[in-house]
Amino acid sequence: MVQTEMYVMLAVVLFVLGTLGVLLRRNAILVFMSVELMLNAANLALVAFARQWGNVDGHLFVFFVITVAAAEVAIGLALIVAIFRSKKSINIDELHQLKG
Amino acid sequence: MQLPSLSELNLGLTVPALSLALWACILLVIDLFIPRDRKSVTAWLAAGGVVFAFIANLLVYRDPGVAFMGLFVADEFAGFLNIVVLLTAFIAILMSVDYLKRTGIERGEYYVLLLMTTSGIMFMNSANDLAVVFIALELLSIPLYVLAAFRAPEERSEEAGLKYFILGAFASAFFVFGAALIYGATGSSSLPVIVDAVGRALAGEGSSLLLLLMGSGLILAGLGFKVAVVPFHMWTPDVYEGAPTPVTAFMSVGAKVGGFAALLRILLVALPALTVAEGDAVAGWQTATWVVAALTLILGNIVAISQTNIKRLLAYSSIAHAGYVLMAVAAAGTPGVSDQATRAALIYLMAYMFTNLGAFAVAMAIEKDDGSGTSLDDFKGLGRSRPLLAAIMAVFMLSLTGIPLTAGFVGKWVVFQATIEAGLYTLAVIGVLTSVISAFYYVRVIVNMFLEDGEGDPAAAATPYVQWAIYLTFAGTLVLGIIPSLVTNLSGPVALAVASLVP
Amino acid sequence: MEATGLSLVTVVLFLPLIGFAIMLFMNERTQAGAIRWTALGFSVLTFLLSLGLWALYNPDDPGLQLVQRINWLPDYGISYYVGVDGLSLLLVILTTFIMPVAILASFRSHIFEERGREKLYYLFMMLLEWAMIGVFVVQDLVIFYVFWEVTLVPMYFLIGIWGAEQRIYAAVKFFLYTMAGSILMLLAILYVGINAGTFALPEIIAAIQTGALSFPFDGLFSTQGLLFLGFLIAFAIKVPIWPLHSWLPDAHVQAPTAGSIILAGVLLKMGTYGIVRFCLPLFPEASVAWAPTIATLGVIGIIYGAWVSYAQRDMKKLVAYSSVSHLGFVVVGIFALNAAGIEGGILQMVNHGVSTGGLFLIVGMLYERRHTKAMEAFGGVWKALPLFGAVSLVIVLSSMGLPGLNSFVGEFTILMGTLGSNILGFVFALFATLGVILAAVYMLYFYQKVYMGELDKEEIRNLEPLHWSEKAALVPVLIAIFLIGLQPAPFFRSMDASVDALVRHVDESVPEVVVGNLQMPE
Repeated sequence: MVQTEMYVMLAVVLFVLGTLGVLLRRNAILVFMSVELMLNAANLALVAFARQWGNVDGHLFVFFVITVAAAEVAIGLALIVAIFRSKKSINIDELHQLKG
Repeated sequence: MQLPSLSELNLGLTVPALSLALWACILLVIDLFIPRDRKSVTAWLAAGGVVFAFIANLLVYRDPGVAFMGLFVADEFAGFLNIVVLLTAFIAILMSVDYLKRTGIERGEYYVLLLMTTSGIMFMNSANDLAVVFIALELLSIPLYVLAAFRAPEERSEEAGLKYFILGAFASAFFVFGAALIYGATGSSSLPVIVDAVGRALAGEGSSLLLLLMGSGLILAGLGFKVAVVPFHMWTPDVYEGAPTPVTAFMSVGAKVGGFAALLRILLVALPALTVAEGDAVAGWQTATWVVAALTLILGNIVAISQTNIKRLLAYSSIAHAGYVLMAVAAAGTPGVSDQATRAALIYLMAYMFTNLGAFAVAMAIEKDDGSGTSLDDFKGLGRSRPLLAAIMAVFMLSLTGIPLTAGFVGKWVVFQATIEAGLYTLAVIGVLTSVISAFYYVRVIVNMFLEDGEGDPAAAATPYVQWAIYLTFAGTLVLGIIPSLVTNLSGPVALAVASLVP
Repeated sequence: MEATGLSLVTVVLFLPLIGFAIMLFMNERTQAGAIRWTALGFSVLTFLLSLGLWALYNPDDPGLQLVQRINWLPDYGISYYVGVDGLSLLLVILTTFIMPVAILASFRSHIFEERGREKLYYLFMMLLEWAMIGVFVVQDLVIFYVFWEVTLVPMYFLIGIWGAEQRIYAAVKFFLYTMAGSILMLLAILYVGINAGTFALPEIIAAIQTGALSFPFDGLFSTQGLLFLGFLIAFAIKVPIWPLHSWLPDAHVQAPTAGSIILAGVLLKMGTYGIVRFCLPLFPEASVAWAPTIATLGVIGIIYGAWVSYAQRDMKKLVAYSSVSHLGFVVVGIFALNAAGIEGGILQMVNHGVSTGGLFLIVGMLYERRHTKAMEAFGGVWKALPLFGAVSLVIVLSSMGLPGLNSFVGEFTILMGTLGSNILGFVFALFATLGVILAAVYMLYFYQKVYMGELDKEEIRNLEPLHWSEKAALVPVLIAIFLIGLQPAPFFRSMDASVDALVRHVDESVPEVVVGNLQMPE
C-alpha cells in the first residue's frame, strides 16, 4: 500500500503548482484553472488522510468541495464572459480601470 | 450507522440562519411576479425576512445549544454576531432601494443575493466544523462576487467582481488545503474533537505538529483574505471602489464579521493549546496574529493618508480596523484573557458596523448617478450646503478615529484593555500610535466639509431610505458611545459560551 | 464616599449641556439674539451655581466633597464619579468665570459677518464648557479621558471655522498634537486601572497609601517612571511645557478672540491640573525623581517664552508666548513638591487664566477695530480711548506681576516654594525671577508701542468706543484681578487641606527624600 505521506507530497506539489499558476498566469481562464488545481490538491489530501484515519469525514469534505467548486465555476465563467464582452480580452493585466 | 431522528437535529436553533436562506429561494420565485417598476416591493419582502430572522435570533439567543449533531452551534457568540450581521443586512437594504433605482441597476436578484450572503455569514458564526465553515464561507462569498459585479456592463464593476472572485477563490483554496492538513493531523474536522487531538498530537510525534502548524497557517491566510488583513489585503481598495456602494458597505462589515467569527472559533475552540515550544503558556498562533495585526495597522493607516477617493479611503480604513479586531484576536491567545478578548472583538465589530455603514451611507448620499462624486473634493462645502448630513458624517469620522462619546471609542477601549491585559504592550502602543495616524485622514474629511469653502456643485438631497439608514447608524454610533453598557451587557456571557462549547 | 443623591457638582456640570439642548432647537435666522442671550444666560447661571460649590465646600476637609457616583460600565470598573476638592474647586470656578467673558467677547465680533453660523458657534461654546468642567470634576480615570478628548472637538471647530487665514493648518495641528499626546495616556490609564481593579482615582490612591497597590520604581524609566511619562507627556503638550509648545502660537494666533481666551484661560490649565491631580499622587516616587528634569524644562520655558515674546511684532503671538513663560512658572511651582509651591501653582493657574484671558480680550478688541494684529498699526490708543487704556494698563500690570495685583501673589508663593524646596532650590528660583523681570520688559514694550505715543494715525483717532458688551466683559476681569491681589487668603484657605494631604502623601511614599513643608506666608 502506498504510504499516506506520498499522497500528501503529491498534493502539496499540486497545490504549489496551482498557487504559482494563479500568481504567474495572465489569462483569466488559466488562473481560474489553477485555482481548481489547488482545490483538487486539497481533495487528494483529504481522501488520503481519510484512508489513513479510516473515517468518512474526509470523504464528506471532498464532496462538499467538489460541489462548491462547481458553483464557483458557474459564477467565475459568467464573470469572465461578461468581461470578455465589454473588453474583448480576458488578460488580467488589462484590468486597470481601478488604480492599485 | 444509525441515522439521527429529526428531533435530535435541533432544527429550531438553525431557524434564524436557515429561514433566511429559504426565504431567499422563495423570494427568487416571487420576484418573477413583481413588475419591473415596483422592485422596491422585493426590497420590503427581503427586509421582512431579515426582521423575521432577527426576531428568531433573539428567541434562540438566550438558550444556547447544538444542532445537526454538533456541526452547528447556537451560542451567545453566534447570537451576538448574528445581530450585527442582520443589522448590517437591514441597513444595506435601506441603502440599496433608491441607489439601485437611480443608478439603473434595479433587479430583484440583488436582494436575493444579499439574503444569501447574509445567511452564509450567519452559518459562519455558528459553524463548529471545518467543513461547515468552508460551505458557509462559500455561501458568503459567491453571492458577493456577483453583487460586486452587479453594475455590469459597467467595466469598473465587472473588474471589481472578477478581481474579488479570483482572489476569493484563491483564498478558499488556501482554507480548504489548510483544513485538509488539520484533518490529516487530527483525524477529524469537528472543532471540539480537534482540540483533544491537538493535545495528543503535541505529546506524540513531530510530523503531526508540522501538519498542524502548516494547516493553521493556511487557514489563517485563507480567512485573512476574507477579513482583508495585510499581506492579504491587495484586492480590497479596487473591489471596494468598483463595486456598487451599498455592496461595498455590506462587504466591509459583513464579510469581516463572518471571517472573524470563523477565525475566533477555530483558534479558540480547536487550536487554543497549539504551542510551538514546549511549556509555552500562550498559544502558538499568538505571535503570527500579533505580527499580522501590527502590519495591518501600520500599512492600512499609512496608505489611507494618501487616498483621494472616499471609497478607497474607507477601504484602507477598513483594513486598519481589521487590524484592531486582530489585536483582540492576538490577545485571546493568552490563557485567561481569551474570554475578555473575544468580547472585545465582538464589541469592536458592533461599533465598527454602525460607524462604517454610516460613513458609506453618507458617501452614497452625495454620490452621483453615474458613480462619480466620490472624491474627497466632493465633500468641500458640504457643511454649508447640507449641514445636518455633514455634522453626522463628522461624528462618524470622529468615531472611526476613536474619540470618546462615540461607538468607536468604546470599541478601541475594550480592545486596548484586552491587549494590555494579555501583556502585549508593544502591540498596544502600535495600536494607539496608528490611531493618531488615522486621525490625519479622518480629520481631513471634516476639514473638507466644514473648513474648506466648497466650489463643487452642491450635493443632491439624500433620498428618504438612505436618510433612514443614516439616522439609524448615527443613533447606533451615539448610543453605543454614551451608554456602552447596553452592548457590553448583551455580550456578557459571550466568551463563556465559546469556552464551554466542547461537548 | 459613596453617594447617590444629586450633587451640585453634577448640576454645574450638566447645566451647559441643557443650554446646548435648548439652543439646538432655536432658529438661527429669526432668533440670533435669543441664541446669544441663552448662551450668556446659561454660562452666567453656571458661574453663579459654581460659586455655590464654594459656599458648600468645607475647607477643613482634604477629601472629595459633594460627591456623586453612578456606575457606567460596572464590568470594567468604570463609573461616573464626580466631586470637588481643594485642587479642583478654584479651577472649576475659573472655567465658569471665563466662559461668560468669552461669550460676551463674541457678541459684537466681526467673525459672524464673514463666516456666519452663529448658532453653531455658541453650541460649540456650550459643549466646550461642559467638557472643561468635566475634566476638572471627574474622579474616574476613564471618564476623565473622555472629557479630556471631548474638549478637543469643539475647540478644533472654533479655530477651524472662525479662525484667521491659516485656521485649517492651526486647527489640524492643534488636534493632532494633543491627540498624539493623550493617546499614550490612555494606555497608562488602562495599565493603572487593570492593576488596581478600578478606575476610580480616590480608591487607587487609597490602595497606594495602604500599600495594596504599587508600581515598581527603580529608575527614571522603570514601570512607574514610564507610566508617569505616559501621563506627563499628555499634560505637557497641553500646558505646554517647552519643547512641546509649538502648536500653541499657531492655535492662539489663528483662533477667534473667544477661542484664545478659553484656550489660555482654561484649556492650558487642564495640563497643569492633570499633573497635580494624577501624576503626583499616582506616581510619587517617579514625580520626585523626575522633578528636577521637568522643572528645568519649566525654567527653560520661562526664559524662552519671555525671550520670544519680546521679539514678536504680532500682539497675539506676544501674548501666546508669554503664556509659555507663565505656565513654566506653574510647572516649577508644582515640582517644588511642597505646599507653598503647589498652592502657588494652582493660584497662578487661576491668575494666568484671568490676566492672559484679559490680555487676549483687549487684543481682540483692538483687532476688531483695526483688523490687524501688528503693533506698528497702533500707537496713541490711550489718547483716543483713555478709559480703555487705563483698563488695559491694569491687565498688563497684572500679567507682569505687580504687587497688589493677582499674579504677584501666585508668583511670590511659587518663588517661596521653590526656594524652600529640597528638590529645586536657589538656582531655579533665580532663573524664575529672571522670568519676572523679562515679563516686565516685553509687557511694557507692548503697552508703550500700542497705547503710548502721539495720536498721529487717522484710524486711531477715529477708534470706535467700547460697546457695552465689551465693557461688560472687562469688568469681571478687573474685579478678579483686584480681588485675588488684595484678598488672597480665602483662595489659599480653600486649597490648604487638600494640598497638605497631597504633599504628605508624596512625602510618605518617598521617605528617603525629605520634602520640606514650607509654612504659608501670612
